[in-house]
Amino acid sequence: MKKIFAIAWKDAIIRFASKAELLYFVILPVVFTFLLAGGTPSGDEDNRIRLLVADQARTELSVQIIAQLSESTAVRPEALPLAEAGSQFDERRASVLLVIPADFSLQSLQDGAASLDLRMQPNDLNGPVAQRAVQTAIRRVSSAVNAANTAVTEAEAARPFASDAERQAYFDQSLGLAARLQAESPERVTAVQGSTPDQVEYDPAANSSAGQLITWVFIPLFAISALFAYERNEGTLRRLLTTPTRKSTYLLGVIGGQVAVAVVQMLILVGFGIAVMKLNWGRDPAALAVILVASALAAGAIGTTMGTFIKTEGQASGLSIMAGMVMALMGGCWYPLELFPQAVQTAVKVLPTTWAMQGMLDLALRGGGLTDVLPEAGVLLGFAAVFFTVGVWRFRYE
Amino acid sequence: MTKLLLIGLKDLKLAFRDRAALILMLLAPFLLTLGLGFVTGRFSGGSGGISEIPVVIVNLDGEQLGDALVDVFKSDDLSELVTLTEADDPEAARRLIDEDEAAAAILIPEGFTQSIMPSAEQFAGGNAADPVKIEVYANPSRPTSAGIVKAIVDEFASRVEEGRITGMTAVTQMIVTGRLAPQDAEAAGQAMGERLAESPGTGLGIALNTNTASGETNDFDVLAYMAPGMALMFLMFTTSYGGRSLLAERSQGTLPRLLVSPTSTAQVLGGKVMGIFFTGAAQLFILIGASTLFFQLKWGDPLGVIALVLAAVFAATGWGMLITAIARTPAQVGNLGSAIMLIFGIMGGSFIQLEALPEVVQWFSKITPNAWGLDGFTTLALGNSLAHLGRPLLALTIMGAVLFTIAVIVFNRKGIMQK
Repeated sequence: MKKIFAIAWKDAIIRFASKAELLYFVILPVVFTFLLAGGTPSGDEDNRIRLLVADQARTELSVQIIAQLSESTAVRPEALPLAEAGSQFDERRASVLLVIPADFSLQSLQDGAASLDLRMQPNDLNGPVAQRAVQTAIRRVSSAVNAANTAVTEAEAARPFASDAERQAYFDQSLGLAARLQAESPERVTAVQGSTPDQVEYDPAANSSAGQLITWVFIPLFAISALFAYERNEGTLRRLLTTPTRKSTYLLGVIGGQVAVAVVQMLILVGFGIAVMKLNWGRDPAALAVILVASALAAGAIGTTMGTFIKTEGQASGLSIMAGMVMALMGGCWYPLELFPQAVQTAVKVLPTTWAMQGMLDLALRGGGLTDVLPEAGVLLGFAAVFFTVGVWRFRYE
Repeated sequence: MTKLLLIGLKDLKLAFRDRAALILMLLAPFLLTLGLGFVTGRFSGGSGGISEIPVVIVNLDGEQLGDALVDVFKSDDLSELVTLTEADDPEAARRLIDEDEAAAAILIPEGFTQSIMPSAEQFAGGNAADPVKIEVYANPSRPTSAGIVKAIVDEFASRVEEGRITGMTAVTQMIVTGRLAPQDAEAAGQAMGERLAESPGTGLGIALNTNTASGETNDFDVLAYMAPGMALMFLMFTTSYGGRSLLAERSQGTLPRLLVSPTSTAQVLGGKVMGIFFTGAAQLFILIGASTLFFQLKWGDPLGVIALVLAAVFAATGWGMLITAIARTPAQVGNLGSAIMLIFGIMGGSFIQLEALPEVVQWFSKITPNAWGLDGFTTLALGNSLAHLGRPLLALTIMGAVLFTIAVIVFNRKGIMQK
């Protein structure tokens, strides 16, 4: 046991010999977590798509359209003069621009000549979302007029109007009634969040916190391979040959030490999540501990196996960063797994990052407890067992 | 000039012989771009968005409108977006969501149709039937998919409500003006509903003319954004790697040897800068070529691409030289360079679109070659030419020149290039 502690302590000293390690240990993970959470804001921030509106008509109808857009959950209208809005759009500082032409009025709507121009940036996902929101606003505003027009048509079919004035009066009365019915219209759809044990609310910042935690902890654990390469090239591994130290003792010392450092790193990031981002990481500390340790053991064991294949420290460092980033991306740590095609969602289950992320989200988003994360922890420990076995089998001091 | 070129080409060869460096120069951006292609569905024929959202629907209404909503989810229009499962038991459907087996459950209660179809009593001014609400039971860990399902149900409900208001308005007005007897209202309303359903007309009374900035349809190719983002991020690694070689040569003694040869300090420094520049340009051209070849990615006007690559590499080289000037050892350059690569990557929009980042970050992103480079590559991908690259090219050139000047001043102060 003493040997294991001694090896672990020696590796910690090597790793933190340079102050620059703190950059990767805590500074960059915190910056990334914060910025990516800023990209998916929560709380009181308005994360709706910015929709530039150039209202050249300034009629009652155009005001109604803008008012409807303001109530949208998808877009946030920002009224600007046409020249300024056009300039911002041309410089791609906004995804969508709605131009309300000068002739846009109730009369043009009645005449069937009302139209709006929506300009969208190509290759931009916000465009179709904004288009849907504008169509919804149009539908709401024009539905009363459509209803009044239909009422006039039906009435005329039953008994023709004596004059245009009578038809117009009928239209106006119908419009008033339709508008009243619309205002009194009840909600027909209710959304209920999935029933988690203590009704934890979805917080997109949790995705960022969990994803970045895994990314920044897995990369240095994969870099255990660099420790092996460093010691092998320095000749210190060969010296161990002359001591009564078994391979498994040495590997346990290396992995144990790095896993312990990783757990400290994770606790700092979890603390940041709780203190700064107000995330609900602390509701079941035992479950959190299980998933964190299982994740770290899996990544550490993979780093060990990598270390038995890689020859130089430089290669190990590059491959660790690359493998860590690719696995984080594919495991849903950067972008939610739900955005991936179904086949890819299934395929990425071969990655430990997918299971680590799933376990973290069980805790942070689904309000899960110890029993909920046991399957993910089990799979992660399976990864650890397999790769540790391969590592011990392939490990050579020289 | 020959000496400059020789030193530059020597560094280019050294960089491409270093397998460890090649991992981060070429392999990592290529694999990440490949991964992004897979996760976004770019390689499986998808348009880069969500597809096959698992949805459970329970239709307890069993009448006209409940069936219509089921038909909406079964329609060809939604066949790629949604994978529908019909169930009979609301509790079983909810359980599927709680167990993360589906993104949302749609529960259409009994009496939904009856609560919407206006009765004779309602036409006569009586109380409206109590609204019966469709429930969308959403999976909290799949908010985007659940949001899409909710939007589809909302749109359906909105159309149903429009129909109800249209029918109520027309029939009520006819009763008020004596065109229709109150006892005939319900039948007339139903007949009108059927008529409108058969010929729904244009739908919206206001035409919405849509067009993209380039006048084309809004086809989304996620790789057109992500591939340049990854290439530019790892370009920062390459330029700091090149800078590291300057300090490494100094500590290994090859730099002083160069300086005692009939080669001026400016030539040596210029040659090193040229080596970084060549390596960075070669890296970007290889990545662009590979993504064009393997992913059929269209980068746009070749002249524009060449100009932009050279300008982006020039600006990134400036950063590489500045990092080298500030750092004391090759290891410090490596650490600082990798950190700046990642920070510029996220600030410059390589991970998520700049628009999604806080405004202050968007402002600071202007100091990164990544943001200007991405701006330029996006401009080209939209079908524009070299003539439209004025701003990014100017910004990148100024950035490179300013950084290079500062680096030279720091080099001189620290005496790095002294014999």
